[in-house]
Order: sequence, then structure tokens, then C-alpha cells
Amino acid sequence: MIDLNALRTQAADILETGEVGAVIGWRRGSRGMAAEPVAIVAPEEAASLVWDPTCFHNLALYLVEERKKPAQRQVHGGKPIAIVAKGCDARAVTVLLQENHFGRDDVYVIGVSCEGTGVLDERKLAQVLPGVEPDGAAFDGDNFVFATSEGERRVPAREAMMDRCLECRNAHPKLNNVVFGEETPRDFDAPFAALKRFEQRPAAERWQFWQRQFERCIRCFACRSVCPMCYCDECVVDSINLVVTPETTAAEKADRVRWIERSASRADNIGYHMTRALHLAGRCVDCGECERVCPVNIPLRLLNNKMEREAREAFGYEPGASIDLPALVASFRDDDPGQFIR
Amino acid sequence: MSEQTPYEPRIVAFLCKWCSSAGSDLAGVSRIQYPANATPITVACSGGVSPQYILSALRKGADGVLVSGCHIGDCHYMEGNMHARRKLYLVKELLEFAGVEPERFRMSWVSAAEGAKFAQVVRDFVEDLRPLGPQDKLNAERP
Amino acid sequence: MEALLDKNRLKDWIAALDGWEAYAPARQDGIWSYQPAGDNPELNHPNTPQPPKGFAFPQREIFFKFEQVKGEAPRLTAVSPAPTFRVVFGVRPCDGRAVPRMDRVFSDHVDDGYYQARRDGLAYVGLACNTPPSRHCFCQSVGGSPVSTDGLDVLLTDLGERYFVAAVTDTGKALMQAAGALLAKPGAAERKEVARLHAAAVAQPQRGVNDAAAAPAKLKAGFDSPLWEELARACIGCGICTFLCPTCHCFDINDEVTGTVPLKGSRVRTWDSCQFPDFTMHSSGHNPRDTLGSRLRQRVSHKFRYFHENFGMHQCTGCGRCVSECPVGIDIVRVVNEIAGSV
Repeated sequence: MIDLNALRTQAADILETGEVGAVIGWRRGSRGMAAEPVAIVAPEEAASLVWDPTCFHNLALYLVEERKKPAQRQVHGGKPIAIVAKGCDARAVTVLLQENHFGRDDVYVIGVSCEGTGVLDERKLAQVLPGVEPDGAAFDGDNFVFATSEGERRVPAREAMMDRCLECRNAHPKLNNVVFGEETPRDFDAPFAALKRFEQRPAAERWQFWQRQFERCIRCFACRSVCPMCYCDECVVDSINLVVTPETTAAEKADRVRWIERSASRADNIGYHMTRALHLAGRCVDCGECERVCPVNIPLRLLNNKMEREAREAFGYEPGASIDLPALVASFRDDDPGQFIR
Repeated sequence: MSEQTPYEPRIVAFLCKWCSSAGSDLAGVSRIQYPANATPITVACSGGVSPQYILSALRKGADGVLVSGCHIGDCHYMEGNMHARRKLYLVKELLEFAGVEPERFRMSWVSAAEGAKFAQVVRDFVEDLRPLGPQDKLNAERP
Repeated sequence: MEALLDKNRLKDWIAALDGWEAYAPARQDGIWSYQPAGDNPELNHPNTPQPPKGFAFPQREIFFKFEQVKGEAPRLTAVSPAPTFRVVFGVRPCDGRAVPRMDRVFSDHVDDGYYQARRDGLAYVGLACNTPPSRHCFCQSVGGSPVSTDGLDVLLTDLGERYFVAAVTDTGKALMQAAGALLAKPGAAERKEVARLHAAAVAQPQRGVNDAAAAPAKLKAGFDSPLWEELARACIGCGICTFLCPTCHCFDINDEVTGTVPLKGSRVRTWDSCQFPDFTMHSSGHNPRDTLGSRLRQRVSHKFRYFHENFGMHQCTGCGRCVSECPVGIDIVRVVNEIAGSV
């Protein structure tokens, strides 16, 4: 069980001593019971920090503020930024470090272990407690406890947890400056369980499935926006080039390749999501945020899981495992699979 | 497609400048007969073939995509083809995972001396693609 | 025109609507959306994450196709939506209120032929919200109501086993007439029950914008408030709030080239969002709205100030989607209240 007061004290202390310039964490929001991301800069604000099952956001995103601008440039004079990170979030920070997005000394990781549970899936909760819109959520051992107008409702965490948490490989943040909570044995689904089930389906069925999913995409780009790894200055799906300067010539602008059109059409949606999956290969840490935020419920984790499992099985590569690893597609081994090549 | 014109698979072939493109030239100057279904695009190195090229070719209506480079150990840039092998393995896996026929994407190593092999690779690819019919899954122009 | 319809005869009414394509909310792949009405539509949905705005304003609209052989003049082929008659069942009153707002936008100054062609054949059969479909609803604070008929052709009220069916427009009357004997005449008891349910619905507590009438002036006064950046701090810059909004209507126009010899393709309109970084990007690279705060200000001010200045009504209908679906909990009600409270 995490002692929230200890976490708050820690946050206040490192702000007080000036060890960090800001702490990115969660506080109570006004959208129902959900927590919301916040960056605090004063020690007294630490009292507003929370930790509960609605802390689903991967806050590593905010370390990459607004397309490749390190957060510390924006906040308080070059001091490191602290981030409250779950196991998956800490793996995301590791990948950002691997990619030299900032240095290890620029970030202070306040690890929070999900211990024997994980974070809440609001869509599942709506099925488990239909018609109930709780005012608050808390961890309690193997359960989530919800405060409702009719009193407390306990739900086994397993029933209302995110799929990503059921399949979590490492709920205890390995990369940390300080960590709260225990490393608890977990007994949920095996990693890649849903992926393996999906792969059993025949090819024609898989295609029908993905076609239906992608035809639904509205190209709101929430999956891209919420992803800490989607920090490119310019993305193949943007209809204009975001890195133009007054010096960019008309010819350069006109010559920009339109790989994927803006239209939310089947082919363009598939092009977008496949490109994204490939670009995240070896980088995606399965925080599952893309799937959570998708307003039309596209199972994006499946795609990313596929790439992650291939990286692991074919190349022995585990994203977010170590700062010292080279990127998956910037490295190779002599015995990489090549039987498919004629 | 009218019944008068039988289906001919259209292949986009990304050939590395140093080996496979030279191999295709050798096939030509050696007057080796092989189908004209492949549109070659010469690239500096197979390692420079972005997955985006492959997806884009399929999006624009290619029935199959071939990437061909130097044999392992022979890369002009030492290790470009090693990168290609890893990167494009992922593309192959992803296409298959999504339910796209894996036969539509092919890779080969063809040296500058292997004109006959290049012709055989194209011949085989065309024959393997023919029974699949037109590629309409990723094709933006699908009616 | 008012009548009663047995719930299990809804499908028969739909079948009787000769020449109309019917749509109703259905839960598919874990989410609710408007789908062609199946065998037995049940209107027991919460509000759908996507509003029905796409029926009149689809995300992708082809304006025309072009083709040009080198050295020749370009050939243009007009594309216009095929005339269809479509009726959408189960529309919530907040989404109903979005209809006249969108109509204004697409007919002001210029009649948008594409929108109009789709809109002309569209009818909306609404469903009163006896209980709020979500805790994020705030329709009443923006001048709406859970039983509003604004923008609807028919309003249904759930009476348990039956619907109370009330025509709002002539189109609505025609739809009801097509039902023939399926509809029964309501008695005084049913009318009383409807009145009671509607009064109870309006009396349900709702959160809301504190003083919507004052919002335009307050937002104007707070234009330069540092609070905008503060409130947008967690914003990730995605398009959920605008794409799911029943009244957001900004679009982009692109030429989608599908071939170069001969040059051919289509000119296409697609939804765009003021929350995207490239929305206001100039070709020089200058971006007048280059911060998340300035983009949040644009969205909120459009809903509660600019639209009001242009058309004398608030654009926001209080459906709550931008609140419930925001990945990081940015809350338009809180934003309006905080900015208004700060000036």
C-alpha cells in the first residue's frame, strides 16, 4: 500500500531543496472521479497530489512538452523535472533516455508501484457497475473501492482493470530515484495473452477485423498526441510541414511527399496506424494510453503488442529495459531471422 | 478490369544501386527472358528502404512489393542490409498480422553477378502473386 | 400531433417509413454509435461518443474530381451527394439543439450546397432524457433542456412500455402519419405522465456554466488572462474535443492526387480542428496560435463568445462530450467559470 503522505512529503522536499524545478503528478480533477495531470512548482502544492486507480495517464508525455521541447526549458531554470511514474511510465522515461531526449540527471523519477493491481478501465467499470458514476476511487488490496452516492462499492480490481495492467510485465518501476510501494507478485494474464488469442484467427478474419476497426478511425490523433514516443517534429499524416521556417523555399514546401492523406478513409487510416505501429516498434512500452484515449475504441494495443512481441522473440529486445540499449531498428545481430529472404 | 485483359500483377521493386540494380542490368544485357511486371526503383541501399515506401506502394495500388539488396556481408555500406533485414521483417510480420497476404511483400539478396537469379526472383514473384488477384486491401483506389 | 407507440412496435414504425433509411444508436465493438437501424432497435443508449453531425457534415466530402492530360485543359467532374431520405432515431436533445446551429453556419453568407443536399433529406427523431445520460451533461446552463425539441422533428418520451411520440415539425408529422395504426391516441393520464416526467427531468441536478448570458463579455475581458495557459497545461493537443463536438464545423480542403500520368485526383473537404498545431500555421512557418493555451481559448471563445457575437446564441449545447472524452480531463465548464470568475 502506498503512503500518499510520504509521496507528498517527498515531492515537497525536493521542491523545497531546489533539487527539482517542478513535479509532474496527478491531482483531483473536475471530470467525475478522474485524476488529472498537474505540474506543481511550489512545495505547498504537494498536498494536492493524489494516487488512486484513476491515475491512468502516462506522465512521461509531459517530459516531451509540445514536440521535442524538453520540459525544463519551459519550467524553472534548467533544474531537473520530477515525474511520478508507474512501472510502464518509468519504462517510457527509459526509452526517452535511450533516445537522448534528455539526460538522466534532468529527470527525477518518483516511482509508484501498482503492486498487486493496476489502473481503472472506465469502459469496463461502466459494464461492471452499470449506471453508477462514482465520485472517487481508491486502491484496497485486490479491490478497487468506489465512493458513490449510495455508499462504498467494492469491485475486484481484476474485473475493472485496464487490459494492459492485466498483462503488465513490470508493475514496479525499475528506473527510479525513489520508489513507493512494494514489488508484489502478480497473477493476472500472461503477457501477450490477447495477442496470442488474436493470432489464432484465420487471416481473412483478421483482415475483416482490422478493416472494421480502422474504418471507424476519425483521425483525431489522440493516440499520437498522448504517446510519449510520438514526438516527431513532423508526422507523415500532417497535411503541412510543421518545421517550415521563413527560409523554407516554395519548392521545398511543394515537394513535401504526401504519404498519407488527411481523409479518414480506410486506406489512409490503415496507412496511418501501420506506420505508427512500425515507428513504435522497440519503443512502445505498452502503457496502453493510445487505446484508453481512443474515442472510437480501436484496439491499438494489439498492433503495438505484436511489434513488441516480435522484437522480443525475433531479436531478443525488450523496450524500456535499459538506458544503454541501442534502438531496435538502429541495431542488428548477425543471427537476425533471414529465412524469409530469397 | 475487362475480361479481354487478363490480370497482370504490378510489382514495385526497390533495388539497391550496388548489387540488385546491377543484377537486373545484367539480366537485361544477358537477354534473360523474364516478365515485365516489375517497376524498378533504384535506391542507394536496401537499408534505406523505409517501411513507408512499402506501405505507400501498396496504398497506390501495387499488387506486390519487392526489396532486393546485396548479400549479407557484401553491403557497400557494410551493414545497411542487416538493418533492412531487421526492419523489413517487422513490416512483413505486421502485414501478415493485419490479414494482408504475406506473399505480397518479398525480399531477396541479388548480387551484381546474379542476373539469372534476379530474373528468377521476379518470375517466381509474379507467379506467386497471380493467384492472389489484385491487391485491394491497402489500395486507396479500391472501388 | 401526439401519439403513443408500443416500444416493441418501434421496428414496425421504422419498417413503415417507406423511402427512408433509418439509423439508430447501436453498441458495436464496445462503443455506441449511429448505425443503420437493425431488426430491433432499442433506444436505451447513453449519449453516443460521436454526435449525429456527420449525417449532414461528413468527415470527408468530395467536392469534385479532376483530371488533366499534359498540355490539355483540366477536366473537372462535379460530385454532389446523392439525394437520400434519412431519419435518425434516438437523438438526444442537446444534439438536436446542435442542428439549427449547424444550419446557420452552413447557410450564412453562402449556402453550402453539400451540407444542404444532405440536410434536406434528414429528419431527427429525438429521445427526451428522463434521467441524464451522463454526469457531464450541462445542457440547462446553456439554455437547453433534457426535453428540448429544438432541431428535432419528433420527440419521443420513454413511458416504460411505450413511447409518447410528439411531432415537432411537418416532417415529423409525415413520419408519424406513416406509422398509421401503430400509433394510439394518448389519453389525459399519459399526457399528465409526460408532463410529470419532463418536469422531473428538468429538476434533476446538473452541473453547469455559472452565467452563460454573461460569458461573452467575461471571455472578452479575460482574453489576455494568464489562466488560459494554466488551464491548458495538461492538454495534449488532440482533436477529440472538436471532432466529437456536435457543433464544431471547421474544415480543411485538400487536393488528393491519385495519379500523375494523367494528373488526376479529387478536391476533398475534411474536418479540421483548432486544437491541432498546424491549424493556424502560416506558410512562412509563423503560427499565431502556437501555444496550447491560445488554442484552448479559441475553442472555448468560439463556443461561448464569437458564435454568440455572430448569431446571438451560444454554440455549446452542453452535451458534455468534450469533458467526458478528454484524455486528460480538460473541462469546458470549469474553464468558462474560472475565466469568468477571474475578471
